[in-house]
Amino acid sequence: MYISDVIRRSSRSLLSAKARTILTALAIAVGTFALTLTLGASNGAQGYVNKIISDNFDPSALVVSKDKDLFGKTDTSQPQEYNQSFGNVLSATGQQTQIAQLNDTDINTLRALPGVEQVQTANAVSVQYVTRPGFRKYVATIQALSPSRHPELLAGSLSAPLGSGDIVIPEGFVRSLGFANPSAAIGKTVKLSVQKQISAAGLGAALAAGSLTATPTESQESVYKIIAVSKKPTALLSATELFLFASAPEITRLTDFTTAGTASYHKYLAAQVVVAGGNDSNKLHAVQTKIKALGYGAQSVQDTQKFLSQIITVLQGIVTAFGFIAVVASLFGIVNTMYISVLQRTREIGLMKALGMRRRDITKLFRFEAALLGLLGSLLGSLSAVALGTLLNPIIAKRLGLGSQHLLVFKGQQILALTLLLIVVATLAGLFPARKASRLNPIDALRTE
Amino acid sequence: MIAVQHITKSYGKKENIFTALDDVSFEVPDKSTVAIIGKSGSGKSTLMHIMSGLDTPSSGVVVIDDEDMFSMKPKAMDGFRATKMSFIFQAFFVEANQTAYQNVMLPLEIAKTPVRKRKALVIEALNAVELGDKASTLAGNLSGGQKQRLAIARAIVNKPSILFADEPTGNLDSATGEKIMQLLFDLNGKLGCTIVLVTHDIELAERCQYQITLKDGRVLAVHDLQKPARPRAKKARII
Repeated sequence: MYISDVIRRSSRSLLSAKARTILTALAIAVGTFALTLTLGASNGAQGYVNKIISDNFDPSALVVSKDKDLFGKTDTSQPQEYNQSFGNVLSATGQQTQIAQLNDTDINTLRALPGVEQVQTANAVSVQYVTRPGFRKYVATIQALSPSRHPELLAGSLSAPLGSGDIVIPEGFVRSLGFANPSAAIGKTVKLSVQKQISAAGLGAALAAGSLTATPTESQESVYKIIAVSKKPTALLSATELFLFASAPEITRLTDFTTAGTASYHKYLAAQVVVAGGNDSNKLHAVQTKIKALGYGAQSVQDTQKFLSQIITVLQGIVTAFGFIAVVASLFGIVNTMYISVLQRTREIGLMKALGMRRRDITKLFRFEAALLGLLGSLLGSLSAVALGTLLNPIIAKRLGLGSQHLLVFKGQQILALTLLLIVVATLAGLFPARKASRLNPIDALRTE
Repeated sequence: MIAVQHITKSYGKKENIFTALDDVSFEVPDKSTVAIIGKSGSGKSTLMHIMSGLDTPSSGVVVIDDEDMFSMKPKAMDGFRATKMSFIFQAFFVEANQTAYQNVMLPLEIAKTPVRKRKALVIEALNAVELGDKASTLAGNLSGGQKQRLAIARAIVNKPSILFADEPTGNLDSATGEKIMQLLFDLNGKLGCTIVLVTHDIELAERCQYQITLKDGRVLAVHDLQKPARPRAKKARII
């Protein structure tokens, strides 16, 4: 029998038992649906992570800390020994931990390393308040806007480097500071007040006076011109959604003012080390190795990306496993359907064998039938998933504040590969029934009632 | 010519052995009509199955056109059946959910007949059994007589040299059965194929050129009924 005849006969057989075909295909479709959505979600999450990283991190830079624990390697199950020279940090869970901080000597050591183009300290300054004349005061945090950071803007522009009197405010402050809309804020000014941290000497004086509140600490007000309004960042960086941005020298000035006379003066949790030609991963890795050899912790964007990808991969693996379980269950459905088909068509098989049809062709007939079931089920499942995903994407993006980023991203190649995989697996599932059919004795088959 | 030589077919082992055919031998000339008759359990169907290569004998040989069927490899045997033999069964065995056209196409697909030749052959076969106008009708919607005619069309579409018919009128009323047999004998005349007919029907058997009577697995008698319509047919004889 020609292969075209085999396919035609197999299709006809499936069409003649529509209900059975549809139900079996639906069983396969459930697994395919789950797998397609999993792949789509994984692609979306990966794309989302990549976008966050490309918008916020410089691929040619390394984040360097004195303490390797900054990169999440702390063993929180054991008590940490107190070190007077370390800074205290509250973890996300509220647990206090100590992090060794970089000082100016460390920064100079890093700057002196061959291949290092620039070292910029990473500080966030707690602002006492931000306000405009006639409006309320709001607490805030201000950070340096590194050249690698590209926040999405609602108004204004970041084409030129920030000057010392420039500021970028997030959209969350627009209405609070009395602007009708983001564009209305551009060119206007805001006032920021920062307060000195209490020094050891100040603390002693306060204690001697009998009350901490009795000792006023020095504060400083500065006026900044709004040059841009940043859009609320994606959900992953939601903790930073109310961050203000100023130039790096201005942040250094503010940090120096707030920490003067304290143990935190000229201490930095981390520094951004820009590597010359660091877009080349070999060069970046070479400098990273050197920094690590000096005892610092150094993390590249790829490391961060890898870490986040690992989380996604693990989650994806779990959901994929469930999808595969559904597919495996549906394969038993195929085996069952095909066995029933063999039983129902015993006399037809007997006739075909009597007319000279070869065992090989009978096997092919049933294998193709199983393959067509696999094709039908996988197309049904994957196309439904794509349709649902396309429908849900704008809703999910709106709910999660993903902007133009879609959570479910479907790739044609993946769907094609999944379809082919299911066809192969379905064909394998059809092997046993096909074998049974080909081995039927034509005389016995023809006698079957 | 079909030469059946010392065919024995036994089932079971030792004391439980059952001999369905016992040293059966005869020859059937080309283009003749042969009826194999006998009571139920006499071995008629077993003999037909062995003659057509669907079953294998315990001993003996079947030679068709100088080829020993049981020395052929399975592939060759399948090819032989696909191109030189055809079958008609009492239960028709037509595919109810396929059209008459699709049913008749089956042997051509199995024999790998070139696609371009198929349509003409199918139409010719359907016309030969007067079902040309039913080509696109589902076989399940045909009457019993039409189904058997459809089975005959399927049997003759690849122009076989031997046509085995197992109780072809068994499921039909006498009038329809008569029409079917007339059709078969006409086709024998037109196509010149050997027809081996297994039947209980003595009247039908008497219309064949040769009658082979079986009893308890042995050939009881071979009658040459000398039908004048088949002058080229040679006489069947017991070897």
